[in-house]
Amino acid sequence: MSAPFRVERRLDCPAWLNWAIPVGAVATALLAGAVLLFFLGVSPLAAYTAMFRGALGDAWGLSETIVKAIPLTLAGLAVGLSFTMVVWNIGAEGQLVMGALAAVAVVRYAFVDSAPVMFFLMFVAAALAGGLWAGFAGFLKARWSVNEIITTLMMNYIAILLTEYFIYGPWRDPSSLGFPMTAPFPAAARLAVLGGTRVHVGLILAIFLALLFRVLYRWTRWGFELRVIGNNANAARYAGMDYMKNVLLAMFVSGAVAGIAGMIEVAGLQGRIQPGFSAGYGYTAIIVAWLARLNPVGTVFVSFLLGALLVGGDTLQVVMRLPLASVQVLQGLILFCVLGGEFFRNYRIVPVGKGE
Amino acid sequence: MRKNWAIAVFMAFLLVGTAAWAIAPVPAKEIKAGFVYVGPVGDGGWTYMHDKGRLDMEKAFPGLTSSIVESVPEGPDAVRVMETFVRNGSKLVFATSFGYMDFVQEVAKKHPDVVFMHCSGYKSAPNVGTYFGRIYQPRYLSGLVAGKMTKSNVIGYVAANPIPEVIRGINAFTLGVRKVNPKAKVKVIWLFSWFDPGKEKEATKALIDSGADVIAMHADSGAAPQAAEEAKVWVVGYNNDMSKYAPTRHLTAPVWDWGKLYKYTADKVVKGTWKSESIWWGLKEKMVGLAPFGKSVPDSVKKIVAAEQAKIVSGKWDVFTGPIRDQAGKVKIEAGKRMSDGDMLSMSWFVQGVEGTIPK
Amino acid sequence: MDSSMQQAPLVEMRGISKAFATVRANAGIDFDVRPGEVHTLLGENGAGKSTLMNILNGLYIPDSGTIRVKGENRRFSSPRDAIAAGIGMVHQHFMLVQVLTVWENMIMGLPGLEAILPKKTVIKRIQDISTRYGLGVEPEARVWQLSVGEQQRVEILKMLYRRAEILVLDEPTSVLTPQEVHHLFNTIRQMTAEGHGVVFISHKLDEVMEISDRITILRKGEVVETLSGRNVSKEELAEKMVGRKVVFAVDKTVLNLGETVLETDGVCALNDRGLPAVRNLSLSIREGEILGIAGIAGNGQRELCEALSGLRPIQFGRVILMGVDMTGAHPIEFIKAGVGYIPADRKGTGLVGSMNLRENFNLKNFWRKPYSRGIFLSWENVAGETGRIVERFGVATPGLGVPVRNLSGGNQQRLMLGRELSGTPRLIVAMQPTWGLDVGATEFVRDQLLRQRERGAAILLVSEDLEEVMALSDRLAVIHKGEIMGVVDDPRGVTEEELGLMMAGIPMSAAVRGERSL
Repeated sequence: MSAPFRVERRLDCPAWLNWAIPVGAVATALLAGAVLLFFLGVSPLAAYTAMFRGALGDAWGLSETIVKAIPLTLAGLAVGLSFTMVVWNIGAEGQLVMGALAAVAVVRYAFVDSAPVMFFLMFVAAALAGGLWAGFAGFLKARWSVNEIITTLMMNYIAILLTEYFIYGPWRDPSSLGFPMTAPFPAAARLAVLGGTRVHVGLILAIFLALLFRVLYRWTRWGFELRVIGNNANAARYAGMDYMKNVLLAMFVSGAVAGIAGMIEVAGLQGRIQPGFSAGYGYTAIIVAWLARLNPVGTVFVSFLLGALLVGGDTLQVVMRLPLASVQVLQGLILFCVLGGEFFRNYRIVPVGKGE
Repeated sequence: MRKNWAIAVFMAFLLVGTAAWAIAPVPAKEIKAGFVYVGPVGDGGWTYMHDKGRLDMEKAFPGLTSSIVESVPEGPDAVRVMETFVRNGSKLVFATSFGYMDFVQEVAKKHPDVVFMHCSGYKSAPNVGTYFGRIYQPRYLSGLVAGKMTKSNVIGYVAANPIPEVIRGINAFTLGVRKVNPKAKVKVIWLFSWFDPGKEKEATKALIDSGADVIAMHADSGAAPQAAEEAKVWVVGYNNDMSKYAPTRHLTAPVWDWGKLYKYTADKVVKGTWKSESIWWGLKEKMVGLAPFGKSVPDSVKKIVAAEQAKIVSGKWDVFTGPIRDQAGKVKIEAGKRMSDGDMLSMSWFVQGVEGTIPK
Repeated sequence: MDSSMQQAPLVEMRGISKAFATVRANAGIDFDVRPGEVHTLLGENGAGKSTLMNILNGLYIPDSGTIRVKGENRRFSSPRDAIAAGIGMVHQHFMLVQVLTVWENMIMGLPGLEAILPKKTVIKRIQDISTRYGLGVEPEARVWQLSVGEQQRVEILKMLYRRAEILVLDEPTSVLTPQEVHHLFNTIRQMTAEGHGVVFISHKLDEVMEISDRITILRKGEVVETLSGRNVSKEELAEKMVGRKVVFAVDKTVLNLGETVLETDGVCALNDRGLPAVRNLSLSIREGEILGIAGIAGNGQRELCEALSGLRPIQFGRVILMGVDMTGAHPIEFIKAGVGYIPADRKGTGLVGSMNLRENFNLKNFWRKPYSRGIFLSWENVAGETGRIVERFGVATPGLGVPVRNLSGGNQQRLMLGRELSGTPRLIVAMQPTWGLDVGATEFVRDQLLRQRERGAAILLVSEDLEEVMALSDRLAVIHKGEIMGVVDDPRGVTEEELGLMMAGIPMSAAVRGERSL
């Protein structure tokens, strides 16, 4: 009747496990992936090589990985902030889209031919747009305890449809022959890029914000309040911390950072928006935040890792001729193992001898 | 502790990666082509037909190999995918969806020695050609069939995105319907998505609920025909013969044969005679056509279709030849006049008989 | 009892060891229970009592050692296995479904056919058991309608219904009035007379001496001694349990009372379910005074404490602190006004388990200098003061960076106490400050409260431990269903029985008169 082993909660996690778990997880994933690749008739070694080369093997691959990592970092920081106080902002996607839309609006209605001014204006507009978008859900939660998972998620759809309305409708580029896209940004509204790559100043912003968040969590009163609320809401109340005010503020800041991610993505890469421009960064950010265990600096690294997985995945399709589905299975395996490894941080398996 | 953890994941990944890199062989050089797909090959529609064309091309040119990347979003990621093709030796890149237009330009600028072919767009460059087919011609023909088959005189049209390509198709279809059945109306529902089987199915059901007894479609999957089969209404497919999704209800479908174009382009690239051009082939070049008729289509209808098809192929007449009125009844194309290709490519109004609006 | 000595044990644990990471919770413990005896497990917090009983109950698997039930080797991997072998545990927190009836609770989770017996049969069986052991349980009653004592009896009945031969009672008296304790002991005696074995866990020495046939004392995961429950003194037990001599008397100086610190006027507050929990409650405390609040758990004590620290909205009435009306003020205002609150629920409310000592000190101090300047925190200052508290209050910890959940209950309480007292509060609201603490820590906490009293703080002491409130309070109020049943000006001049009647809801005049007329 009873299983041959049972699961027991760990009281504390030995230091070596902090290293062994992730290394073991990635190794397990790659091993499992190797079996999969083998049955697909592909040499696992060659596949992994291709993946690694594509993502990190040369300056270009590296730059593309960074390009992916920038919005992931920003959006990861954004959701991480709300998760820290155990408020579930699932709507980074919508906030990101709103930020991008705000950037487009600024270029359309308040264009100034000066790159720094434009950057500032777009930054503020995107932060406000994303912040208010999330702040509204925060308000509903604080005022009437409306479940923020549902509101933020639903507001994603509203944001995306709203954006499509503008892309198909009033903001459609008249010179696009009826195709849905906004007018291209003038040069002053584009972000500076690094050399011949697509890496833009968003990189600096992402790293700066990650460090800022670290300071916020560690060294400021507000960061402390967020962490206390997240760890024990009762104790936070007991300590005189204002939950409602903090929910509002956290949602606003979370949304603002997601909005900035959207603005950076538009101004840094395409310079216009067309349907489906986000590639789901707001959702991937949730995985990023959890993999980084809500640590801001960790978020940068995890974003880079995920960026590498996505970029490497292309190469795998091109070079190894693998169908997308198997590439996704491989990527999923790695994420699954890394997340699954978390289990062993909190629990251990204890063998149970044969009874009687 | 948390940071250590993130770094550890990162290092583990790096380590295994480096080890693999050190041992693997370098791929040999060969003539390669790359295909950027907007959906999965298994969509049973748009991307599936492109892939069929690609395989035709591979068969015809044994020296040429090709690889694909599926489900590439129409955003900045496309640049990376195309760049990856080029970096892995592709000399010919096909971008098979309109949304890649800007990104094709961006990558093409960096690689003047690589030929880029962009499907359904309007921006070309010395090393960028565009290609598309006059699918509106078979759509018109399928409209004839639909107009003859409807009893309720309401025909539903599941439409992906309100862009000229789709609008043109709806108009051509409606002209066909009204040619044989002036009382019939075509109701349009926009999906705002190219590939979303769930939405496609729902839109189909909504149209059937509002009285449609024939469904036509412009979307990338076979969901609409499936829904039509379930509801036992006629359906006109798209992209390829969709009778397998609606075995008893499929009338016909405007279909693509991209292989024609891919073989043509590959031939020129292999011979070194490729030049940038904007290709828009139709029934005559056999890049587009009609799928085999379903069993229920009467011979009399088939005869009408054959006659109209002959007219188009001969070049004496085309679908958008006046008089054509818009929804408000205003004459847009005067009697006897033919619409120019430019006007067709940027079409943004509906002809009389269409029920629906184009988002402004 | 002598006859039981010769009988084979019902259950026999031999050489039980269990370690969690580096902590040895049980090290080679031998423990047995014979039919017809009450075997008490006595020990400080963290001595390994709970671990040992959780092993017996199938919640933990021992690292080594054997369990024999009636001479047969057994291995339990879940409480279900344990109950199947005749071992039933009544936890401190009851495992009953509140909205169901007693008889429904009985058959819940039963295996096989027993779960689908006709209602009549079930009720018949409940009534049989109930009369036989004097439990007085009404099978058709819904659990939420029952008092805590009655619910406990339902739990016991549930175990007997499942044919438990050995009953483990984990601190059963902590939720009961003295009268209910009496009732429980009668039930226990009835059970032993029927041949059941009972394991009794408690830290109240008087009770232990009253009910036990044998007492096994644990310290640091090991058995100190197993001795007979007869002819043993309180001092002897305490000494063996703690490892040193313990003084029980509380030294209290007579103080001149100062100004009135807290005054409440007809305060009403609701509980979490929106029902009235504190009704029309008026009291006042002056500087240098300890006002004790006695009462059975769940009679509005928590709600009262929360209302007095701003955590719970006040429906009607006023709270006046040092002459200032604080009704409706934000909790932070109470903190700033000098209200220290020691909640009963230290892990759930008073401390953040996953955070370290520094952060937990900062919890109530982050808003003020020198622990923060502007928006920034000053961790050096926080660490400095936390270090001083650790030293002064004797918090045993490997360091200031350790999550407080890794500290023992006593050390958590010392830390929390240190934090609440560090700002020289004017009013201290202490709820169950010694609950679950060992003798040493209890002594320390009580001593600290008395020192604060001497310093001139006003203290509201809420406790379910009558002995404690009677010893510490200058005045003593008894609360029942959120109302004050009476205030005793001299806590030493009242008997436990009189208090017990008030705790059961009989107003003071009647309670005292009733007692005297007997």
